[in-house]
Amino acid sequence: MPYDTFRYFEYDLWLMSGIIFVPSLFALLLLFIPKGQKNWMRITALAGTVITLLLSVFLLVDWYQLLDTYRLTDQTGHTLAARADIARIRESARGHLDTDLVARRPWIARFNIEYFLGADGISVPLVVLTALICVLAIGASWNIENAVRGYLILFLILETGMMGTFLALDFFLFYVFWEVMLLPMYFLIGLWGGPRREYAAIKFFLFTLLGSVLILIAMIAFYFADLTPLRDWLEQRAQQTPSEELRREAQALEQAVRQRHGSGETALHTFDILLLHKVGRESARLEWDYQQAERQYEEVLASRDSQRIEQARQHRTTIAQLKERHQIFSPTFQFIMFVLLFIGFAIKLPMVPFHTWLPDAHVEAPTPISMILAGILLKMGGYGFLRIAYPICPWAAYALAWWIALFGVISIVYGAFAAMAQTDFKKLVAYSSISHMGYVQLGIAIWTSMERSQFWNWGINGAMFQMLAHGLSSPGMFFMVGVIYDRLHHRDLHRMGGLANAMPLYTGLSVIIFFAAMGLPGLCGFPGEFFTVLGTWNFTPPGSEWAGKIFAILAAATVIITAGYILWTLQRVYLGHRPPSPDLPEITFREFLCALPIVVLAILLGVWPRAVLDWVEPSLAALLRDLASTHGW
Amino acid sequence: MLENPGWLFVAATLLPLISFILLLIGGKHWGRVAGWIATAAIGGAFILSAIGAAYYLPHSGLFGHSHSSEAKPASQEEHRGASHTHGARREHNHGHEYSSLLERDPAEPPWQGGLVWAQTSSGESGQATALRLGFYVDGLTVIMFLMITLVATLIHIFSTGYMAEELQPQVEDHQAYAVRAGRYPRFFTYMSLFCFSMLNLVLADNLFQIFISWELVGICSYLLIGYYYERSSASNAANKAFITNRVGDAGFIIGSAILWTYCGTLTLPDTVRLQRNAKGEMVRELEPGLFSRLRMPNKDTHGDPLPGQLDKYFGNFVRVAPIKPAAEVADTRYRLAENGGWVLVFGGHFHGEDLTEETAIAASSAPTNMGLSVMPYWALVLAGIGVFLGCVGKSAQFPLHVWLPDAMEGPTPVSALIHAATMVAAGVYLVGRAFPLFAPEVLLVIAYTGAVTLFIAASIALVQTDIKRVLAYSTVSQLGFMMLALGVGGWIAGLFHLLTHAFFKALLFLGSGSVIHGCHHEQDMMKMGGLYEKMKITAVTMLAGVLAIAGAPLFSGWYSKDAIMVSALAFVVHHPQHILLFLLPLITVAMTAFYMFRLWYLTFTGKPRDEHVYEHAHESPWVMTLPLIVLALFSVVVAWGWPPWDPHASALEHYLDHEMPIYLHPDADNPLQDAYLAPVRKYAEQPEAFPEIQLPDPHTLAGLLALLSAGIGFLLATTVYYWGYLDPEATQQQFARVYTFLWEKWHFDAVYRWIAVRPAMVLARICRWFDLYVIDGLVDGSARATVKISQWDGKFDLGIIDGLVNLTADIIYAVAAWLRHVQTGLLRNYVLFLALAAVGIFALVSYILALVG
Repeated sequence: MPYDTFRYFEYDLWLMSGIIFVPSLFALLLLFIPKGQKNWMRITALAGTVITLLLSVFLLVDWYQLLDTYRLTDQTGHTLAARADIARIRESARGHLDTDLVARRPWIARFNIEYFLGADGISVPLVVLTALICVLAIGASWNIENAVRGYLILFLILETGMMGTFLALDFFLFYVFWEVMLLPMYFLIGLWGGPRREYAAIKFFLFTLLGSVLILIAMIAFYFADLTPLRDWLEQRAQQTPSEELRREAQALEQAVRQRHGSGETALHTFDILLLHKVGRESARLEWDYQQAERQYEEVLASRDSQRIEQARQHRTTIAQLKERHQIFSPTFQFIMFVLLFIGFAIKLPMVPFHTWLPDAHVEAPTPISMILAGILLKMGGYGFLRIAYPICPWAAYALAWWIALFGVISIVYGAFAAMAQTDFKKLVAYSSISHMGYVQLGIAIWTSMERSQFWNWGINGAMFQMLAHGLSSPGMFFMVGVIYDRLHHRDLHRMGGLANAMPLYTGLSVIIFFAAMGLPGLCGFPGEFFTVLGTWNFTPPGSEWAGKIFAILAAATVIITAGYILWTLQRVYLGHRPPSPDLPEITFREFLCALPIVVLAILLGVWPRAVLDWVEPSLAALLRDLASTHGW
Repeated sequence: MLENPGWLFVAATLLPLISFILLLIGGKHWGRVAGWIATAAIGGAFILSAIGAAYYLPHSGLFGHSHSSEAKPASQEEHRGASHTHGARREHNHGHEYSSLLERDPAEPPWQGGLVWAQTSSGESGQATALRLGFYVDGLTVIMFLMITLVATLIHIFSTGYMAEELQPQVEDHQAYAVRAGRYPRFFTYMSLFCFSMLNLVLADNLFQIFISWELVGICSYLLIGYYYERSSASNAANKAFITNRVGDAGFIIGSAILWTYCGTLTLPDTVRLQRNAKGEMVRELEPGLFSRLRMPNKDTHGDPLPGQLDKYFGNFVRVAPIKPAAEVADTRYRLAENGGWVLVFGGHFHGEDLTEETAIAASSAPTNMGLSVMPYWALVLAGIGVFLGCVGKSAQFPLHVWLPDAMEGPTPVSALIHAATMVAAGVYLVGRAFPLFAPEVLLVIAYTGAVTLFIAASIALVQTDIKRVLAYSTVSQLGFMMLALGVGGWIAGLFHLLTHAFFKALLFLGSGSVIHGCHHEQDMMKMGGLYEKMKITAVTMLAGVLAIAGAPLFSGWYSKDAIMVSALAFVVHHPQHILLFLLPLITVAMTAFYMFRLWYLTFTGKPRDEHVYEHAHESPWVMTLPLIVLALFSVVVAWGWPPWDPHASALEHYLDHEMPIYLHPDADNPLQDAYLAPVRKYAEQPEAFPEIQLPDPHTLAGLLALLSAGIGFLLATTVYYWGYLDPEATQQQFARVYTFLWEKWHFDAVYRWIAVRPAMVLARICRWFDLYVIDGLVDGSARATVKISQWDGKFDLGIIDGLVNLTADIIYAVAAWLRHVQTGLLRNYVLFLALAAVGIFALVSYILALVG
């Protein structure tokens, strides 16, 4: 095949779109399968998810290669922003096989809405995790008997929504996918759930809808801002400091503005998340400069040296003018928007006190839906923090770091205690999720200054790793609960016991997964928690020197409670000698196949976390550099 | 010659891991073979360790030809301090010199190696950016490897006999009234995992890796205590063990986090690693470990010696105080101060001349490559206490000692290996290994913890009747002795006792296992008696263990206990306010002799108290007695030196002396001024240098007192339980309250139930209640309120809005009715109305458009 065939072939566009829409295509296919052919429907759905998994593995390999090419040449070239900028600059001169993993197409030109996809070390692992858990969840759905077609179609649409959320870089597109997740989930819980399914489904729906509305408001508010001043500011900076990165950013922005002008607009309104990052970053930097100048002025005032005072005053005025002219997202605006976004994502995480939808939804949802819910949907919260809330509103994120960390710690402790008091097996696992996701929030929150940024980096890496680890262990636990529920038809911990002798293989696999959740070294739950706590001691938000230290102690002490409820659960379910029912069949081969990948990955990630960290950390470090640079750049 | 014999120890560590993986995957159906595989693995590990030790011994200083022995003529008696090695030690392994390590031959011990387990790219390299897995093999590692692999091999052999009944397809568990499948392979699976974890713990060169192993040995202990999980007592004990240990582990994590934050590393010794420099070339770079980051080195990073007047700080923490009172700015200036609130951290490149006493030191509050940094002194103390809390949990020290006696629910070989010889000693090992990190305040806490523990545990052991529980409390007590020794600066004494104790306590446990096996799982000593006739080998070997633990001369325990008593005495002489640190162990020596002989007499002598047990009792097969004999032999000779009757001539002690952290050595031309420890060490080794202290030679004094105390205990036990001059029952009734107090183990379990377990459960229920009624109450309440509002809204709609609409309709109808009169049928009227309507609509639309536009 001649090279020219690939001349305009945007490989990454098709790959990422494939990951998003292949499940939907298979959902469409399901419509044509004759009624009653339940197994064929299941096999079709399985094929859809398996193909998606394959595609996401391709994406992972591509990402790894991309990172490898940049690792030696350009330290910052691998970031999404850099790749998107380069792609925009090169737009006219495209002539190669496009593998930069960003793809941009106009969608609703009137409102500058784009079909804009991109992948980096933050989204790729979550995409792969989603694809994997979806395959396993389809495997776990095999024994769903009523309305199979509808169930599978909704399931596949849900997968499309999740994938789209992780890959979208246009806020509007992100929001559309975010909502696409919501409805199938509502029906999956509300129609295939347990006895209180309607209550649970509506609760889930309303909570999440509340979050969505808050995000929607923030999104519209961002859109209404005119970003043109940013262009002048970036140009000015690029002239002052000759840096490749700045020049690139200015040039790409120029391109974007020109493009809007070309379509007859005078202002630049956008849903481009990466562009909004830049606005947030630069606004925060200007604010920082201004506050520095003001502080300097006040210090000089004490010196009574009129010449210096005059100098400082003039400096302050200059900076104030710059701020006036170029600061698009003022601190107040950032605060309001950040709180909206934060609550929106914290509901998904879920953070105490917005968490009560989770136990109900889990208890009522069928096993595979619980797996998706715990494994993937909760990660949307953490992903939203990292991709949207933090980078767009860094000023507010820093000012509120103390509160975010505090609520993270509250979730950790509260979730663990609440889990200990549960008698419903599934509810216990649900509360353990709240506790574990608290580490994610804490790890992200422990913002530190540039010269100590490695500690925050451990926190963010810990948070990311914890998301992946929890994305494995939590679906694993729900699956294991589902297996026993299928046999006993109840989940009452007081009426279990003695399973170890009745179902030894099942017990062995469960114990590994539960130990992983307990944070046992050598299994996946450990690194995330450990990194987070290591980073937390250093956390010293302005004005509260002791916060990080107390948080670290609380987070570390919670491992005792975690061990308490997990071991107590193991004792009540597996140990002892009286099985709750005389004939308990050992897990079937299908169930074994569903559990095995989780167990294997839990061990792999625990023993060698670099298998993931090596290609995740660069993106997180770049994000952190951008964020930390807003305070003392 | 191997280039780096350290890999032998890595291989020794990995062998049991391989065995674990094999058994985990396929062991279920292998029966007896599973036991052989595990035994072969740990036996192979022993052989590898022995080969490694053979490589190490020429460097050990045991044979006297250390590097600088010629340069420095021995100034003291050979057996006291082995001072001829001090000069060498200064350049030796504890990382107080930056330059030598880079040029060092990797074949010279300590052997090192490792890899990065996780790293971040922010921050300066080497400053809290990488968590490593690595190995560090020095003399302490070597001797621990030998001990662990030897004891573990013997216990594995013993277990192939002891666990044989698990080979049957059906095993009846009398305690749980259950019949279950035998699970012989599973036992060895867990044992292999344990051996791997334990060896990894000893091999590790950093706190992070130690923590990993720490938790892994904990989980193995959990699995093996809960081996008979049909019994609720076993699963409860397993939970208790792990959760209590987690309390300590939380402290360990916090301690690690503190050190990580201020020092920027968790590696203990200095390491050399390959690093990519700015040009992309791989270069060998030295990374200082925690020890040399916290304690003053003797050279700066440029290889220049530090100014002479700083000699007194060498090997010590360097306290500084900020020159400006408020240290708000990151880069501030400090000066040396006797009791300053900050400690210098030597984490990066620095010049010797920056460190003079007159000028200020520019130090950062973050670990940095470009200079010195500082950490608050309280944080150093807290870090030490945190790490020590981990040791308290693992080594079952007061107040976390409660799990170990319950852990006796596991099979007896497990008690011997994990809960006597190795895992519980890990806490002591870590205190010894991380010794340079501990500030004097922490050492004092360690000493008191040990003293209180050894006394409490021994007092409880006096009255217990379950043979394994007596041994368990005895273990707790002996571990307390070790902690006490370390806390008062008796580094050698503490680790010496760890090694000797491992042998005789493993022997005692295996002996008790043999008794229990012979008596068909009877553990109550009150039902035994007179068993000597039935099991002579067990009885005699156990007697050796009893004599060793009681401290009978020429038995291994005598040497190590003597060393502990000397350390304690030397400490108390210098710090008379801490006299308890000597009195408590002295009394406890008597109690130890008493309860151990009580155990032996009750079991093996006198008349059988339960005919049924006695009749069925039998000696164990050779796979069980052979390990007993070997261990008995070791319990006697392991501490011998020449001449054996000199308690301070022990070869093992000399060996450890060479491994002692350098700053503990009282060295004439190296004036160590650690106010807390240095005089103590000096007094213990050279009492003649302290003419003002009017006491006999501390060695003689402590030795005699200990021997006297042990003799009293022995005599008392013999009087009561052998000669029968005193009726124990009557004594019990006379001291009923004391007896109950001891029998109830000082009520620790009850107290913890009230102050920890119950409150936790109550808090948990409160959280659940809060969720159900407060948060969900709010949620559901607002939902209900919304529904109510919408119902009202509906009524409003129906009554008022619809009413209005209907009213409008009515009006329109009325108007229309009236208009009917207008309906003239004339076309022009209709056109007029249409035109008016069009104008109205147009006006409305343009008004709206104007608003929008």
